[in-house]
Amino acid sequence: MKTAKDGVFSTLLVLSVVTFAVLIAFVFLRVPEAQPQAGGLAQKIFYFHVPAAYAMYLSAVVGFVASALYLYRATDARDAWAQAGAECAVCFGTLVLTSGPLWAKKAWGVYWTWEPRLTTLLLTVLVYAAVVMLRTFSASGEAERRFAAALTVLGTVTLPIVHYSVKKWGGNHPTVIREGGGGLGHPDMKTALWLGFFAMTLLAAVLIWSRARLALTSHRLNALEERVAADGLGEAA
Amino acid sequence: MSAAQPGAAPTARSMEFQPVQGGQETTSAEALLVAAYLVMWVLVFGFLAMSWRRQGRLEARVGDLERTIDGGKAPRP
Repeated sequence: MKTAKDGVFSTLLVLSVVTFAVLIAFVFLRVPEAQPQAGGLAQKIFYFHVPAAYAMYLSAVVGFVASALYLYRATDARDAWAQAGAECAVCFGTLVLTSGPLWAKKAWGVYWTWEPRLTTLLLTVLVYAAVVMLRTFSASGEAERRFAAALTVLGTVTLPIVHYSVKKWGGNHPTVIREGGGGLGHPDMKTALWLGFFAMTLLAAVLIWSRARLALTSHRLNALEERVAADGLGEAA
Repeated sequence: MSAAQPGAAPTARSMEFQPVQGGQETTSAEALLVAAYLVMWVLVFGFLAMSWRRQGRLEARVGDLERTIDGGKAPRP
């Protein structure tokens, strides 16, 4: 039976697909090519690279809130949302870490350089990857869940460091959105970026929600299996 | 393109695109752009495929559970 939640989820999914289609068409057909210093045509990677980084922050914040609440009072739902947040943070973080180097190759001449933002971002994604590994390959007991929640909270502490690393330590990574940074000279570039933020928000909502639902279903199934085992139904069969 | 000035203030250095010392730009922008979009969609669809597989495993467990419950309810000989 379809519920109101299913309806909202389907609407988000359809809206996400449509927004991405519009974004891609807009970026390739309307947005002008950037200056050579920004990578020229390769700068078009920017319109999903930056929104993907924002989606990673969003996922991490969901993971952080759910983990903090779980540490305060443990429930299956909180654990499921914490797990989903960490998984999506890894997904979007990987997107950022793969699209960035491809753009950097054109703008900087190298795929990777150990400058502050890249290094801190890599470390953050590795923290969330550790959380996902822990949840995937260890038992699903209370101790593992609490440890993963604490690790997720720790991962979130690194986010402000990633965000302010450019301002604090400089490096090659540019500040292109605020404070007069180069890269968004044309109004269509700004429109494309905001469209990218909107599309990634929808995608993040769809992915986080679906992963949380999966995790929650898994928890309910575990509980049901334990009840069946306790009732001795399995032995009777 | 100007190279990064080590003595410049962090904010000033972070406002523009700067080449890395010794870096060479020889790859075509088109190839990099296509690669980036491909990687992005492969990652997103890979993530969806993982979710789909996990859903499949859960459904298999539900099936096992249903069979167990049905077996348990069957009249004993």
